[in-house]
Amino acid sequence: MKITLVKKIKLDGSLCKKCEEVQQKLDATGQISLIDEVLIADERDPLSPGMEIASLFNVERAPFFLVEREGKAPEIHTIYFKFVKEVLNQKTLEEDELKEILNDNPDLDFL
Amino acid sequence: MSENLLSTVDLDQTLSAQTPQEILSFALEQFDNIAISFSGAEDVVLVDMAYKIAPEKVQVFSLDTGRLHSETYRYIEKVREHYNIDIDVVFPESEAVNKLVREKGLFSFYKDDHKECCSIRKIGPLRRKLLTVDAWITGQRRDQSPGTRAAIPVIQDDKAFARPGESLTKFNPLANWSSEQVWAYIRSNNVPYNELHDRGFVSIGCEPCTRPTGPTQHEREGRWWWEEATLKECGLHDVNIKK
Repeated sequence: MKITLVKKIKLDGSLCKKCEEVQQKLDATGQISLIDEVLIADERDPLSPGMEIASLFNVERAPFFLVEREGKAPEIHTIYFKFVKEVLNQKTLEEDELKEILNDNPDLDFL
Repeated sequence: MSENLLSTVDLDQTLSAQTPQEILSFALEQFDNIAISFSGAEDVVLVDMAYKIAPEKVQVFSLDTGRLHSETYRYIEKVREHYNIDIDVVFPESEAVNKLVREKGLFSFYKDDHKECCSIRKIGPLRRKLLTVDAWITGQRRDQSPGTRAAIPVIQDDKAFARPGESLTKFNPLANWSSEQVWAYIRSNNVPYNELHDRGFVSIGCEPCTRPTGPTQHEREGRWWWEEATLKECGLHDVNIKK
């Protein structure tokens, strides 16, 4: 299995906020050691490796994880906690999961 | 459910040209285990439409955050009786609510922001409910919030709430309707509505986080008015992705 993390550099040259948060979590938990490659999707450069992968897999959010397993179709994970649970088989806190869902889907608070 | 019916992007293009009733018919035909999310407000039109299309298939749930107006509780009951349907009222985990209130009090959302409270009182129970269905239907519309709902599709692959290794389909049949169209439907079909609407409430949520709006205000201004709107920043801007 090969895991690639794609992070986004915004038009102003800074890293996107969620990319920073996910990077911090990966570092703090040691999960970063399970990531094989980190690519940058630079919004200022459509040919940057991360932008090309985003285009190839039709991904509209960052950060995201590309998971490639032998003999299987590549998987894209845009939700960090689901990636941690379903790919890394590690535990997550429910409160963190719920906050991530709402942050990624701000329209849900209208329900 | 046919496997992967859901090239949802292609379907969205087709369904976007259809009426809410046609979209609902499609959804109810495709899925047996499908539920309508009813907030106790004008999304009642979905209940009315679904009831007229396939009354035997109508499954409705409401999220009771514990902070709704008493008028909304009465209204949910009125809808239950009017259509003679079951409404599954789902609640937040008491332990999570206890922890929030113990640590931050009953009105922490005025000091922090509403997301922590919403995640516990709304998103938690919503997730528990959605783990039991294959598809769900919401009354979300593009005109409700230019910031967060401007790009709502009619059908989407809901990765956030899907069971591990499975898919969950979300339908937003009213995505392309305006508030005026919704209210024209309510009036012309004599659909029961929440009495708060007659008192200037356009968008109705929890009591502490909802207020009436004036004639020139957007309905979004009736919710979490003390917070500044923030823009999502994690979308990858299409214009920059090489096609």
